Amino acid sequence: MNPIHDEPSPSSAPSQYEERAGYPAEQAFAPGDGRAWSRVSRRHTWSRGLSATLWCLLAGAGGALAGWKNGGATGAVIIVALAVVVLAFAWIVAELTHRSYGYAERDDDLVLTYGVFVKRLIVVPYGRMQFVDVTAGPLDRVFGIATVRLHTAAAATDASIPALPVAEATALRDRLARKGEERSMGL
Amino acid sequence: MSDAPEDEPPPRPDPPRPTFAPPDPGQPPAPRPYPPGHYAPQGGSHPYPPQGPYPPPRGPGPHPPQGAGPHPPGAYPPQTGGPHTPQAAYPPQNAEPHSPQGAFPSQGAGPHSPRGAFPSQGAGPQYPQGAYPAQGAGPYPSGAYPPQGAGQYPPQGGPRPYSPPGGPGPYPPQVGHPYPPASYSAPPRPIHFSEGTHRLHWATAPLRAFVVLVIYFVLLGLPLLFAAVTGDDTAQALTLFAITGAAALVTAAGAGLWGWRAVRFRVEGDDLVVVTGLVRARTRSIPLSRVQAIDLVRPLMTRVFGLTEVRVEVAGGERSEILLRYLGRNPAQQLRAELLARAAGLPGQTPEAPETPFWRLGFGTLLGSLLMRVPVIATFLLFLGSLMFLLVFAELAMLAVAVPALLAMIRTVVVPVVMYGGFTVALSPDGVRLRYGVLETRMQTVPPGRVQAVALVEPLAWRPLSLARLEVTVAGYAGERQALSSVLLPVAPRAVCVRLIGEIFPGTVLDAIPLVPPSPKSVAADRPEGAGTDDTVFVARRGFPSRRTDVIAHARAQSVRMTVNPLQRMLGVATVHIDAPPGPVRVKAAGRDLGEARAIVESVAQRALAARRTGGDTARWAR
Repeated sequence: MNPIHDEPSPSSAPSQYEERAGYPAEQAFAPGDGRAWSRVSRRHTWSRGLSATLWCLLAGAGGALAGWKNGGATGAVIIVALAVVVLAFAWIVAELTHRSYGYAERDDDLVLTYGVFVKRLIVVPYGRMQFVDVTAGPLDRVFGIATVRLHTAAAATDASIPALPVAEATALRDRLARKGEERSMGL
Repeated sequence: MSDAPEDEPPPRPDPPRPTFAPPDPGQPPAPRPYPPGHYAPQGGSHPYPPQGPYPPPRGPGPHPPQGAGPHPPGAYPPQTGGPHTPQAAYPPQNAEPHSPQGAFPSQGAGPHSPRGAFPSQGAGPQYPQGAYPAQGAGPYPSGAYPPQGAGQYPPQGGPRPYSPPGGPGPYPPQVGHPYPPASYSAPPRPIHFSEGTHRLHWATAPLRAFVVLVIYFVLLGLPLLFAAVTGDDTAQALTLFAITGAAALVTAAGAGLWGWRAVRFRVEGDDLVVVTGLVRARTRSIPLSRVQAIDLVRPLMTRVFGLTEVRVEVAGGERSEILLRYLGRNPAQQLRAELLARAAGLPGQTPEAPETPFWRLGFGTLLGSLLMRVPVIATFLLFLGSLMFLLVFAELAMLAVAVPALLAMIRTVVVPVVMYGGFTVALSPDGVRLRYGVLETRMQTVPPGRVQAVALVEPLAWRPLSLARLEVTVAGYAGERQALSSVLLPVAPRAVCVRLIGEIFPGTVLDAIPLVPPSPKSVAADRPEGAGTDDTVFVARRGFPSRRTDVIAHARAQSVRMTVNPLQRMLGVATVHIDAPPGPVRVKAAGRDLGEARAIVESVAQRALAARRTGGDTARWAR
């Protein structure tokens, strides 16, 4: 990756910083090497959104009942409105989260990016993976998706790829495990 | 290093920075983010050598730096101030022919070569004897460190052939005074743990029994006796005491015998096999190549019998360690030597590897440095103030302040003094050896390549004295032992800490790694913040008032992350984390420009790959 070689205009400071960087800032979260991010399944949004909906239904109904008993109709309406707002927010965040996820299998490591509020980019060398597991919650199983999680010796490595179709998830796990075994380095 | 501020990187110029001026149009469009002159004093050494700031680690180096030849003398004048001038301190760097890596010791020199991973002190090219002449002079009052005179630790004669026995005398005679105190260096009886099954020391039984009896007396025996003396029904209380006492005696005898007889261990091939239990045997087998550290602990109570607890740390979480309590003093040392030799890939009968004394912590230094800390001073003032208030106004409520303050001072001063009293560090081919403790003596051995990351901590009040503390992350230590064992040097002159880092990550000269300050866009509280890298380690410095310099070897990095939180997104900066196994050291470089952060991520990932490929497997360090 080379820095951009645009003529840096003296007036715009950011381009100078980009010069300093060696990587253009707008490509900081790109997979690099002309690769494209592999995206997670659309069902991720549905799974997360439905999960949020269930919770909001429960909380909204319970809250509305309590509000009805204590404050009458006004309290119940406020709580239901609150639940609806939270639900809308949750769906938006679910969609944004789905869009933020991307992973790329490079020659020696796996790159993963995600995050709506805190954007993250994680590089996990295959040789560092201790184990890879595939998990699927009840709602995930309804949608036929699973989460692939990478574990290294560092607890801070929080690399999991959610919402892959089950077949794809197991294939990815097997591929990662094989690459990890080939390049395993111990600690 | 007399003045800490002097060894900061060149001060960050105020924005707009003239140094980020557009590149010279006459220049080829090579990535040259630092225009000549910004880091000019450093010669060709780039913050992120070899080419450009974050190039792949061993590229052909097309970068025609200023000064393509050997580095001019004084390559690092602005970085190292203080007593040891750069020329004296790092002469081999200047003398070294210009390698592709520029100023940094080349990897081919074997920073991670298994054998001689901890080269003897004198033999290392980085530190000729007398490279740190400032220990007696400089900021310390003369005589503050009397034992650390220049001639205290004579150099070892050349590199040690740490070879399997068979040849005549695997180790050349050790030069210098016999280092371990006489009580440690008694010739061990020839026990070979690799042959047959072994048991714990017989004194384990009475010791265990004694512990059970103490518990009985505290819980039941003493109250009963008390009741017999003061109560009405003396006879009944005495009968009860006799019955429970007899039961406790039997239990104690059983527990003692069980604790002694139930544990058998043997060395089988490359495994340490520990069998626990008399009726149902539970067998644990530990591959010795996975051993992360071996500690010998001598609690106060076991000193009577000369007993030692052997702890074998294996990477794998909270309860993964092996405890052999207790062995005799000499067998414990012999077992450690055998385990380490086998872990290193040598025959079991190899005698204990020789060690070179490295540093001894004087009691005055320890106490003085513990007192010279801002929280301690503040607590002491609080204590004095509350005490005066208490006495002058007879206000008993001030006890609520005085007592916690006193307890806090005991915790922060007395406990460390008791724990770290008599701290010595020695280097051996088997790794770094630590001995410390006033009441409970601990002897830790951390084999080469087991240290994941190191932090050099300089509290505010220590910086004028140029003192520092070294903390380490070792994969084996988890949970409570992490807190106990994470200190490599409780307090030492900064130069000693830096030297020890150079021994742990061979070839690393911490102060020679140029640190690049964070982006001017970032909100930074402390100016010395920065990050830098060479082919062996990544260094990040941060923190105020206590400054931390976190060092992680590329070969040990588990993963690299870059995070941008909402505030950082507004500023256009990012934080780069180099992940190590859980421990006190968290390596992160905050406030980097987005593009620079990504470049750091890629550079670190590639360097880690290169370091792991060339470094090989450290599991068998002597092979």
